[in-house]
Amino acid sequence: MYWIFHFIVAHRRVFSLLLTSLVSLLLITAPPVKQAAVLRFLSMTVFFPLQAVTSRTMKIRNIFAENRRLKREVIRLSTTVAQLKDESYENKRLRDMLNFTPKFTYDFLPVRVIAYDPSPAQKSIVVSAGEKERVTMWMPVVDESGVVGKVVQVMHHISLVQLLKDPSNRTGVLFRRTGAIGILETENGRDFFVRCRDHEPIEIGDTAVTSGLGGIYPRGLTVGIVRRIDTIRDPLFKRVMLALTVNFDHLEELFVLRMSSQWGAFRTELDSIEFSDD
Amino acid sequence: MIKVFFRWTGLVVLLYILQTTIVPLITVFGIKPDLLVLVLFYIGFKNDVIPAVFAGFFLGLTQDFYSPVILGQNALSKTVAGFFAGVFNEKVMRIDPIFQLILLLLIFVIHDAVFFAVEMFKTDTPIQAIGVEMVSSTLPRALYTLFFALIPAFREYFFPSGGRR
Repeated sequence: MYWIFHFIVAHRRVFSLLLTSLVSLLLITAPPVKQAAVLRFLSMTVFFPLQAVTSRTMKIRNIFAENRRLKREVIRLSTTVAQLKDESYENKRLRDMLNFTPKFTYDFLPVRVIAYDPSPAQKSIVVSAGEKERVTMWMPVVDESGVVGKVVQVMHHISLVQLLKDPSNRTGVLFRRTGAIGILETENGRDFFVRCRDHEPIEIGDTAVTSGLGGIYPRGLTVGIVRRIDTIRDPLFKRVMLALTVNFDHLEELFVLRMSSQWGAFRTELDSIEFSDD
Repeated sequence: MIKVFFRWTGLVVLLYILQTTIVPLITVFGIKPDLLVLVLFYIGFKNDVIPAVFAGFFLGLTQDFYSPVILGQNALSKTVAGFFAGVFNEKVMRIDPIFQLILLLLIFVIHDAVFFAVEMFKTDTPIQAIGVEMVSSTLPRALYTLFFALIPAFREYFFPSGGRR
């Protein structure tokens, strides 16, 4: 036994090579299941401290890549901002040249929903602001997703808001991409559509915003996204079906747009006008 | 002894980090330097056969652990490369830096020969493909690494550290 030990010590270099090569060859020829077991064992013992170093190294690599990506993004956005600034100046200059009146201004009054219409169709809500908060009739009500409705009755500290989903409500909308205008309608408070001329190039996914032509809502508030286009019912017109952006099932915090009245203030008078047939 | 062990371990860890972070950024036509074979060569060059063999084994095993295409492939090739680095250190004169670089080139050839032999054995790759790979990959990689090897070689030439011989 002693001579074996002596022999190994005498030829320790070759034995070192043989030992490590033998282990390597066993790893190479081992079946995948055993290789996985060896890797698991190594990860929990020998390489455990190295794992921390490697994970940090990978983080550094990711930071380099992220940095490069962000630099590209900054350049792209800087270019866009410069272009938009330029267009903004041009817009202002052209407006001045045409003596365009400035766009009307408004401020946001945050309100809470304090009561729901108990009917299944749920056509209106009551919000926590009224005359004392300088809320007046026909003021638009919005949330972060888009148009909710308009104020139709005002009391001291509360107001009644007619929701966009009320079938008797009519809202002027404009398709942002094409500029086509129409009126948002619904028959049941669930399916919303806009009647448009058949040749209007409206596509699924287009955004509909308020047109500003009704005198109540300012132009550009998001109303809905085109979900489907129905051309079967009418040869001249098509029905553009919309999915409203506001979730009417979860209305909590809203905003009343306190804006100087447009001709919507004469809405009552306009509605009272009777047109004769001749 | 412990001080030497930790010094080499620190150098290996540092070069491993550089190999996985900086080296991919300096790849030229798909060829990148192999700093791990370089450090293995210097372990054999500055120490003995046994440290070089075990350093090669654990260095290769670490590579296999993090990229286990064929588990044990790097361990075997680096073990053999470490052994020959140690043997060259003992058997041949090692003062001339040019001669050192030639030996480093030889270590690369040995390392890749074992590496591709294992690949041939495991994946039934034809020997002609291995030969092409040796010429198109091993030699450019070795030459690229030689550029980095010049730094310690010149340092050793101009500021000799007073090795064992």
